Amino acid sequence: MRTLFFLILFIVPGSAFMVAQDPAEIAGKAADVIDFESLEMTATLNIHDHRGNVRTRQVAIATRKFGETTKTILRFLSPADVRGTGMLIYDYEVRGDDMWIYMPALRRSRRIVSSERSNSFMGSEFTNADMGTYNPDEFNHRLLGSETFDGKECWLVESVPATEEMKQENGFSRMVAYIGKENYHTYKVEYYDLNNELHRIMTIGDYRRQSNGGYFAFSMEVSNVQNNRRSVMVVNQFQATSDLAESNFEVSALENF
Amino acid sequence: MAEKVFFIRYRKYIISFAVMVTVMMLLPLRQARINPDLMEYLPDDIESKVNLDMLEEVFGHYDPVIIFFESSDILREPTLKRIREINNSFNSLAEFEEVISIYESKYIRGEQGAMFVDPVIRRIPATEEQREQLRREIMDNPLAWKLLVSEDFRYTIMILNPSEDVDDAEVFGLIGKVLEEFPGDERVYFSGLPFLRNEIQILAARDLSLLFPLGMVIMLVFLFLSFRELRSVLLPFSVVCMSTVAAMGLMPLMGWDFSIIAVLVPVMMIAVANNYGVHIVSRYQEIYAGNPEMDVKDIVNSVMANLRRPIILTALTTIFGILGLAAHVMLPAGQMGIVSAAGIAFALILSLLYIPAVMSMLNKGKIHKSYVGEKNSPVDRFLLWSGRITTGRPKLTVMLFLIFLLVAGAGISRLNVSINMEEMMPSSHPLRISTGIANQHFGGTKYISVMFEGDIRDPEVMQTMDRFGKELSQVRGVGSVTSIATVIREISRALNDPGDEFYDVIPDDRTAIAQYLELYNMSGDPEDLERLVDFDFTKAILNVQFRAEDIREFRRITGVVDEMVEGSPHAVLQAGQSLIEKEMSMLIVAGQVRSLLFALLAIIVLLGLIFRSVYAGLMGAIPLVFTLICNFGLMGWAGFDLDIATSLLSSIAVGIGVDYTIHIFWRLKQELAAGRGYSEAVRLSLATTGRGIAINAFSVMLGFAVLFFSGLVILKTFAFLIIFSLLLCLLCALLLVPALSLMFKPAFLENIRSINMKRDN
Repeated sequence: MRTLFFLILFIVPGSAFMVAQDPAEIAGKAADVIDFESLEMTATLNIHDHRGNVRTRQVAIATRKFGETTKTILRFLSPADVRGTGMLIYDYEVRGDDMWIYMPALRRSRRIVSSERSNSFMGSEFTNADMGTYNPDEFNHRLLGSETFDGKECWLVESVPATEEMKQENGFSRMVAYIGKENYHTYKVEYYDLNNELHRIMTIGDYRRQSNGGYFAFSMEVSNVQNNRRSVMVVNQFQATSDLAESNFEVSALENF
Repeated sequence: MAEKVFFIRYRKYIISFAVMVTVMMLLPLRQARINPDLMEYLPDDIESKVNLDMLEEVFGHYDPVIIFFESSDILREPTLKRIREINNSFNSLAEFEEVISIYESKYIRGEQGAMFVDPVIRRIPATEEQREQLRREIMDNPLAWKLLVSEDFRYTIMILNPSEDVDDAEVFGLIGKVLEEFPGDERVYFSGLPFLRNEIQILAARDLSLLFPLGMVIMLVFLFLSFRELRSVLLPFSVVCMSTVAAMGLMPLMGWDFSIIAVLVPVMMIAVANNYGVHIVSRYQEIYAGNPEMDVKDIVNSVMANLRRPIILTALTTIFGILGLAAHVMLPAGQMGIVSAAGIAFALILSLLYIPAVMSMLNKGKIHKSYVGEKNSPVDRFLLWSGRITTGRPKLTVMLFLIFLLVAGAGISRLNVSINMEEMMPSSHPLRISTGIANQHFGGTKYISVMFEGDIRDPEVMQTMDRFGKELSQVRGVGSVTSIATVIREISRALNDPGDEFYDVIPDDRTAIAQYLELYNMSGDPEDLERLVDFDFTKAILNVQFRAEDIREFRRITGVVDEMVEGSPHAVLQAGQSLIEKEMSMLIVAGQVRSLLFALLAIIVLLGLIFRSVYAGLMGAIPLVFTLICNFGLMGWAGFDLDIATSLLSSIAVGIGVDYTIHIFWRLKQELAAGRGYSEAVRLSLATTGRGIAINAFSVMLGFAVLFFSGLVILKTFAFLIIFSLLLCLLCALLLVPALSLMFKPAFLENIRSINMKRDN
C-alpha cells in the first residue's frame, strides 16, 4: 500500500456508457482499476519553488504485477549527479511496502523504511499517497453536485478518509474530485489539509487511449496553495505493457546499473 | 508699574492659550501606537541587519517563540500525549508557519541493513520497556538529543515560528488558549524575542500606568511639605503635566511610534520642567518673606525680573544638550531628544508667562518660615551645613570630590555593554528561568548563522561545513552546530555500516552527496531541509547556538566564528538576531558618547557666551563631567550594564546638572554684585537658590524611588541611576561649584555686574 506507485491514478476506466449516481460507485469507477497489469514509461518531473526556480528530474519506471505483489522499479535518468539512482518497491496487498534504494556513488543498495505516506514524492508537491494506489473502500464518499470543468460535465465527489488514522496517514482530511460524467476521467482534485484548509490542487490532463482500451493521463500538475510551490509531471514515453521478467524487479537487478 | 507687564496685562489670554495648546496636544495621543521592538528602529543599513535581511531573503523570516515543558520525565505517557495535542493544535493554526518539536523532527537510522526515516516519536510508549527503547533512540539521535530534549529528559522544547504579520499579543493569546485547552502538570516556560517584547509591553504599560502616577503623588507630597502651600506645588506640577502632554503628543503628530524609550520623555519632563516652576515659587516665597507689605503683582514681577534670564539660560542649555541626541543612530533616542527639547521649550514659555500670570491672580498666601530665620526642615539644615562646609573648607571639599571622582571613575573599566535583553526582567521572571534552562540544559539562547555560497553539493563545501561544526563544537560555550552537513553525516551513518569507508563521513564524491540529498527528499520531508539549504543548492546555513553571559564571552565565541569565516572562501556572511542585538548595544553606546560630547561642547560654548568667559564654560562643565564619570563608574562597580535606557540617562543628567550650576552662578553673581563678600554670597545663595535646587532635586528623587517597585529591572536600574545622578548634580551645585568659586574667585562672577544690577533694581 505505501508506495511510490503512482501509476494507478493515471489510469482511469474507459467505460463511458455507465451512468452512476451513487458517489461511492462513481469514485469506485474512477479509481477502479483497469487492468494495466504492467507498464513501462519515462517521465519528467519539474519542481517549481515560489520564486520560480525549477528543479528537473527524469525517471524511467517499469511496473508489473506478480501474483498479489505489484513490483515497481524506478531509475533516475537525469540530472547527471543522481543518474542511476534507483528504487525498487514491492507493494503488497496485505502489508506495508518494501522499498530499496540503490546509489551508484556507493555502489550498493539499501532498504528504506519510512512510515509516512503523506511524505513528498521526490521532493515535489506530489505526495507518496498521490502516487500510490487509491482504495476507494477506505473513504466515505458524498456527491456534492455537478459542475463544468474545462468544458466537461463533472460530478463533484467528496471523499473523506474513513478513520482518523487514515487521515493522518494520507495527510489530508478530505478531497474533492471532479470526475467526468462521460468517461469517469478525474480532471481535478482538491486536497484539504488536516485543518480542513485548501492545501493542494491537482489537475490531470492529456488522457490518451491505450491499446488495451484504457486511458492514461500524460500530464499531471499539483499546486500547493499554502507555500506557492507547484510540480508538473509529464509522461514522455508510455507503453501499456511490460514484458520484464520478475528477475528485473529484484535487488540484484537494482544494483546492476 | 507691574500692571503694564506683559504676563499680567494679558494673563487671561496666556492662561487660556496654555490650556488650549495642552488640550490640542492631547488629541494626537489617541492615535499613538506602541512599538516595543527596538530592533525595528535600527537603521536598515547597519551591517548585521543587512546580513540578516539577506539571510531571511533566502531562508525565510524566523523570529521564534520557544516553549519549554518541564516534567519529571518528559517520556511519561501523559506528558507525551499533552505535547502531541499541543503540537497538533499549533500545526492547525495558520498564525504559525512552522512548529518544531519531538513530533516534527526525524530519526534517521540504519538497522538490519535498512535505513529508517521516522518521526522521533512513532508512537507513545505504553510500557516501561518501550519507554526505555524510545529513550535510547533519542539519545542516539543528534537531531533531537540536547536540541529538543534535555540530557536528563526533564525538559523538551517546542519552537513556533509565527507568521510575520501576526503581532506578539495575538501570538501569546493563541498560545495561552492552546495550553489551557490541554492542561497538564508540566511546567511551561517561554523564551524568544516575541516573548520578551510582549512581556516588556505588558510590564511597561503596568509600570507606567501605576508607578508613574504614584511617583508623581509622592513628589507632590514632598513639594507640599517643603513649600507648605498648595499653589506652590500645583503650579510647577501643572507645567510638568502640560509640557509632558505637549512632548508626548508631538510623537504621533510627527508620525513616530512610542518605543520603550518614550518612557524617558515624561521622566525628562518631571526632572527638568519642574525645575523652573520650583525656582519661581521658591523665589516668590523668599521675596514675600523679606517684603511682607509688597503687592502680589509686584512680588511676581520682581521674581520674574530676577529669574527670567537664568531660567531662559538653563532651558536653552538643556535644549541644546538634549538636541545632541537628535543625531543618535537609534531613531527612538533621536526622537526622544527632539520631543523632549520641544517639551522643555514649551515648559520654558509656560514658566515665564503662565506661572506668573496665574500667580498674579492669586492672593499673597502666607509667609514661609524658612525665609524668616526659623529654619527647621531637613532641607534647610542640609543647606546650612553645605554653606558652612564650602565656605569653611573649600579646598577640602574639592579634594573630597576629586577622591570620590577617582574612586568612582575607576569603575568605568568594569563597565559592560548589555547584550542579554532578558536581563531587563527580574531574576524570578519566567524569561530568566527559561534562559537558565536553555543555557543549562540546551545549547544556549544566542544564535549565529553562517551562510555558505557555492555548489553546496561540492564535497569541499560540505566538508568545510562539517569542519566548522566539529571545530566550533569544541569551543567552550557553544551548545550546538547544525547544518546540512549534519544531515549528510546522519544519512551516511544510517546508510552504511560501521567500518565502511562511507560510514559517518562526508563523501568525497559530489554525486554521492547529491544522491544522499535525493534520498532524503524521497524518504524524509524536503521541508526539513529548507531551513538548512536553499532550493537550488547554492546557499546553505550553519546554525551556531551558544551561551554568552556578557559581551566578553560573546566576543570570544564570535571571534572564533569570524576567524573561521575569514579563512574560508565558501562562508560568505554571518547573521543572526544575536549579532543585531550586539551591534545595537554598541551603536547605542557609541551614539550616546557622541551626543554627550556634543552636549558638553554646546554647554561649554553657551556658558562661555552667557557669562562672556571661556573660564565660565569650562568651570560649568566640571560638575557635568564629574557627574557623568561618577555615574558610569558607579554602574561599573555596581555591575549594571549599559543599555539603551541607562546610557540615555546621562543626557538627562547633563540637562539637569547644567541647570543647577547656572542657577548657582547667577545667584552668586547677583550677591557679589550687591557688594557682598564671597563667603557670604555663597551662604546666601545656598540658603535661597540652593533651597530651590534642593527641593527640586529631592522631590524628583523621591518620585523616581517608586520605580524600585517596577517589574522591569531596566526601570529599577534606571531609577537607581537617575536618583544617583540627581544627587551628584545636587552635591556638585551645593558643594563643588561654590567651593571652586571660593577657591578661584573667577572673574566672570564679578565682572559683568551691570546686567545684574539692572535686574535687581
